[in-house]
Amino acid sequence: METTARQKDRPAKYSRIRRIILSRILVAPFVILLLVCATLVYYFASTLHARVTSEMIRIVDDHRNMIDQFLLERTEDLKFIANTNDYEFICREHRLAEVFEKLQKSSPAFLDLGIFDHSGNHIAYKGPYDLEGKNYQDAPWFQAVKEKSVYISDVFLGYRNTPHFVIAVKKEENGVYWYLRATIDTYYFNNLVENIRVGKTGEAYLINKDGLFQTKQRSGGKLMETDPNFSLSDLPNGRIVTYSAADDQGNKYRYAVGRLQQTDWQLVVRQDFMDAAAPLIQAVMAAVGLIFIGGAVVVVIAFFLASNVAYRLSVADAEKREMTNQLIMAGKLAEVGEMSSGIAHEINNPLQVMKAEVTMIGDLFQDVSPHSDADRENFDLIKDSVNQIGIQIDRCRKITQGLLKFARKSDPVIRKIMPGELISETVGMVAHQAMLDEVVIKTAIAPNLPEIESDPSQLQQVFLNLINNAVYAVKDVPKPEVRIEVDQHNDRLRIRLMDNGCGIAEDQLEKIFLPFFTTKPVGTGTGLGLSTCFGIIENLGGKIEVESQLGVGTTFTVLLPIA
Amino acid sequence: MSNVQVLIVDDEERFLQTTAKIMEKRGVAALRAPNGEGALKIIEETPVDVVILDVKMPGMDGVETLKRIKSSHPLIEVIMLTGHGSFDLAVSGMRLGAFDYLMKPCDISQLLEKVEDAYAKKQAMEERKRANGENGTDAPNPAVLRKSNASGNIE
Repeated sequence: METTARQKDRPAKYSRIRRIILSRILVAPFVILLLVCATLVYYFASTLHARVTSEMIRIVDDHRNMIDQFLLERTEDLKFIANTNDYEFICREHRLAEVFEKLQKSSPAFLDLGIFDHSGNHIAYKGPYDLEGKNYQDAPWFQAVKEKSVYISDVFLGYRNTPHFVIAVKKEENGVYWYLRATIDTYYFNNLVENIRVGKTGEAYLINKDGLFQTKQRSGGKLMETDPNFSLSDLPNGRIVTYSAADDQGNKYRYAVGRLQQTDWQLVVRQDFMDAAAPLIQAVMAAVGLIFIGGAVVVVIAFFLASNVAYRLSVADAEKREMTNQLIMAGKLAEVGEMSSGIAHEINNPLQVMKAEVTMIGDLFQDVSPHSDADRENFDLIKDSVNQIGIQIDRCRKITQGLLKFARKSDPVIRKIMPGELISETVGMVAHQAMLDEVVIKTAIAPNLPEIESDPSQLQQVFLNLINNAVYAVKDVPKPEVRIEVDQHNDRLRIRLMDNGCGIAEDQLEKIFLPFFTTKPVGTGTGLGLSTCFGIIENLGGKIEVESQLGVGTTFTVLLPIA
Repeated sequence: MSNVQVLIVDDEERFLQTTAKIMEKRGVAALRAPNGEGALKIIEETPVDVVILDVKMPGMDGVETLKRIKSSHPLIEVIMLTGHGSFDLAVSGMRLGAFDYLMKPCDISQLLEKVEDAYAKKQAMEERKRANGENGTDAPNPAVLRKSNASGNIE
């Protein structure tokens, strides 16, 4: 027996079970998934960092060597010229042009070539500028080469007033020094360094020991300007240092810096941090995407799984409860039935005696006659009284017979029945009375219903009882209506009787099939109707259920086996 | 009323008294027995046409009494009377040759009608027996029993 209250708490319990299953299914995979992703990202990040660093170190190392090699070769070129020519000879104009031509063949990096005497006078010059005759006594490069004999200058403006740098060598000839100086083509040298590329945003440039640009910086630094990010002034020779730093705009860069051997310059390779970390970011994005997609799939599957399991559980639960209820109800009814049949039997005997007495009195009345008018009146009163006793005995008899009928498990007379016909016939029996009560009875009988094998007279008794109850329930509501629907539900025939009456309170709903339970006024009903119905339907292998909602109506459902 | 001899068997003393009185008043001779043993004794001593037999009695019960009556006096018709609504009991009673079956409390007039019917049947049986001479079989034939009539009385 399912009541409305039990149906009400079912969805709540159902969703609670589902929530528990869901959380248990989801928590473990998600924790593991997150751990795996975090571990992967961590290891990937550290590997990537190491790789980027080592790559930058390699680039710095390679290119530093290349630049060193270049500077060394150019110096050697000059040294060779100085060693293979004497001062007098080279100062001749055509000789210098010859030498310069050879020099340019050896490397197009040479822009011009000049000869200086021991006091810094520009004796001979071959190149695009007019520098002959100028004195370089105080030029820093001249001071330096006098001391070191080979000198590579920083980039400076000089007389020509354009940024350039020079390589100078000192030559001793008969105790007197003279100097050879060549300018390196700034563009050529720039290209040499600038062409180093790392990733998308990586760049390379040279700065001197004071942080002035010796080559242009692709991202904007001009020659001879101070590198705003210059930080390492005393870099150890040979070693390459890597570090991360942000510029004044807040962009983070990864740096690799190494000092040249030929001169005091530093080769800087720097790469935008985001660029260097791009593969990492992609990996993280992929991991996050995977977590989301995988998570969504897991959630969806888990949701369906949990719903399914919870649904099955709650259905099994409801079935179990229903079965228990029915067992309890059947047990109760059997007990009550046994007891009531005993009572009925015991009461029937005295009723029989009383009935005989009443008949006796009736017979005796025929023999006696009143003597006066006063007697006649009393006579009639006594007659009426005796009559009433007879009527009350009959009433008792109906009760005891009802009890016996309820308790009796009579063998049903099984026949083939067309359910539609049976219902229509039964409705026909009460239609007249219903019409008088202004109750509308609507029947909806599904087509092609199968034949059933059951006891037609017992079923008719049940439906008559249920329809009468329904009509009684709707008598006092506006628009009284009783709907009867007959259809096939799974492998059973389902007959539903719905009324729009006042409904049955929950506490009464539980007792509704018990004998002597009635809500009708005293004397109107015995309270045996529904208990008899219950007994009959159970006996026929069927099931009878009730659902009710106060103020809305009541539905009785009878399920009968088809085959 | 015809001159039928009725025997009422019931453990309810007052019922016996009153019913017998009513019957006598209505011109039906009624004997009384408080139990099965008493009934069998009376049958041996006095000719009886119809027995009204309570099913549930202390000592020998109605069904047992019915069996004994039918075996010693097959022509006597028996009407069963019970306060119990058992269909099975009714069926077994009918099978043992009872004429009909009435539920307690029953109307005395209805009871008397049944007695009339039973007596009529008994007379018909005796008639046939006489017509067949002494060689005809007089064992009760269950096929003759009016089963539909019996079940009709059990509501």
